Amino acid sequence: MIKVALAGNPNVGKSVIFNALTGMRQKIGNWPGVTVEKKEGVCKYKDVEFHIVDLPGIYGFTAHSIDEKIARDYILKEKPDVVVNVVDASNIERNLYLTMQLIEMEANIVIALNKMDLAEQRGYKIDVRKLSRELGVPVTPTVAVRGEGIEELKSAILQASKTKRKPSIRYSDGIERYISLVESKVIENSILPDCPLRFVAIKLLELDNEIMKEAKVGKEVIEKWISLVS
Amino acid sequence: MDFVSELAVARYEKIGEIVGKCVEKIEKPRTFSDVIDTVVTDKYVGIPIFLSLMWAVFQFGYSISVPFSDAIDVFFAWCAGIASRIENPYLASFLSDGFFGGWGFVLVFLPPIAFVFIALTILEQTGYLPRAAFVVDRAMTRVGLQGKSFIPMLLGFGCNVPAIMATRTIDDEADRKITIMVNPLMSCSARLPVYVLFAGAFFKESAGAVITLMYVLGIILAAVMATLFRKFIFGGSPSPLLMELPPYEVPTIKSALMSSWLRIQIFLKKAATILFIGAVIMWFLATHPWDATNGGELIENSYASMIGHAVEPIISPLGLDWTAGVALVGGFLAKEIVIGTLAMIYGVGEEGVADVITQHFTPASALALMTITLIYVPCLATLGVVRQELGSWKWTGLVLAYELILAYIVALIVYAVASVVML
Repeated sequence: MIKVALAGNPNVGKSVIFNALTGMRQKIGNWPGVTVEKKEGVCKYKDVEFHIVDLPGIYGFTAHSIDEKIARDYILKEKPDVVVNVVDASNIERNLYLTMQLIEMEANIVIALNKMDLAEQRGYKIDVRKLSRELGVPVTPTVAVRGEGIEELKSAILQASKTKRKPSIRYSDGIERYISLVESKVIENSILPDCPLRFVAIKLLELDNEIMKEAKVGKEVIEKWISLVS
Repeated sequence: MDFVSELAVARYEKIGEIVGKCVEKIEKPRTFSDVIDTVVTDKYVGIPIFLSLMWAVFQFGYSISVPFSDAIDVFFAWCAGIASRIENPYLASFLSDGFFGGWGFVLVFLPPIAFVFIALTILEQTGYLPRAAFVVDRAMTRVGLQGKSFIPMLLGFGCNVPAIMATRTIDDEADRKITIMVNPLMSCSARLPVYVLFAGAFFKESAGAVITLMYVLGIILAAVMATLFRKFIFGGSPSPLLMELPPYEVPTIKSALMSSWLRIQIFLKKAATILFIGAVIMWFLATHPWDATNGGELIENSYASMIGHAVEPIISPLGLDWTAGVALVGGFLAKEIVIGTLAMIYGVGEEGVADVITQHFTPASALALMTITLIYVPCLATLGVVRQELGSWKWTGLVLAYELILAYIVALIVYAVASVVML
């Protein structure tokens, strides 16, 4: 059995992809402790069962909204084998913002590049192969409302579950200096060893309340670390 | 250094770099979607377009469901008729009035809810709903709510249960809580029969105006309470509405049916259990103690009557007697029960109630009863869903308390003013 999570911005066709993957084999409930709807379903492909969870539609992984917190906790704690990141091809720049953060979390990502027809209509020509190479993540073009690309997506999920890749993307040198410094401090103090290192470092830099609480690191400590750079 | 924005910049830099390499943009003229948007989000025609679309949804939902509801009604009446012929009078009474009456009573509401869900899901899939929220945001901000609160408020005119569940689309917690708390003030369709009956019996020609008045009163009170909750409990201001307008799409019937089916299942599971149990409780109260009521014949000796007399001193300043008391207590289970209970107490069929009530009420006390029905405790199903969505008994208690107090005060004012004006 493969654990799959669906992540993406609101209105990217995530539910349509979820329905296309699971058919009627789904159930609806609540995320534990909150009243946000949780949809789960099962999909069988080449004798392998995918257990699929539809995460709430989100733009990022701060702890400000319940939805973002749910999605983040699920990826960090439940550690799905594959995270399918549904990206709206007609709105690619803004959608990739979430992708960047998924990469920071070192999630095993498969991108479903949805609404390809719409992107074309709007005059975008996307080089899918190149995009996949640049991001270091498999990309499958889909038009979910017409069921196009769903079989290819299933195959990509299965493939990804076997290779277990951890994508990584470097930002500008300026910010990377801070990230690697905090990373070294995180290792030194063995902070949250179960969470992806880069993610913890970035969230600490962002002074994320939840992570600071879990890591038992105060604002002053982080500021002291930061002052070491330069 | 503010690393939140530093990192955002770093991410977008990288995205720009990647997109620059992989995506080519050929400039195209304005899309069809843009053209529609300039019309439907227009400052002046936006709201009229929105209102007519919503009206169409409700009209579709309720009119198409009438034969289905009638069929369900007839079917369960038929079952109840058969059950009433059972030898054992206790079993006969339970099965016909409690069990089949209860199920029929619950399932009659299924068709309108299902069809409204389907119509709304289709509208949602076209991508129109975010535009609607955008259009009404300004008016809503003024009363301490936000644009996304509007759909749940509007749904409240149909039934508060799905309306409150629809607040899940509101991401700000304070906004969501306020929307849930004032939602029961939107006059749901279950209250309409009560208005129709009393307005028809007492105000004849101006019945329509009186009913409209009740709806308007509900809206005004919701606006007032939302403002008060915002000001004194939650503070702050409604979170700004930041949303993207997704391109329009042709909805797919299959996906629409599937999404609606999931929602309908939730309604069936949660509301039906509560509503059904409620109907059985009402049957129990009206027919017990079994011997004293002579098997449900003598309602004056029932628990229902005891409850009515206990409530009477509280509501007599509003010109209401114990029969109204029982009806209102029954209406706590579901507002539809108000009329059914009155019919049961006066020992007439539901058709005969209109004649009898003129002996028990004055025009002023009729108005008071309508006002209370509008405002006081949401029905059990709504209260259940309020509890579920607010996630705490404390908040649910607050909703219950403010509505009881508000109902009493407003009804008192209405009764006093009406008594003076109509003398």
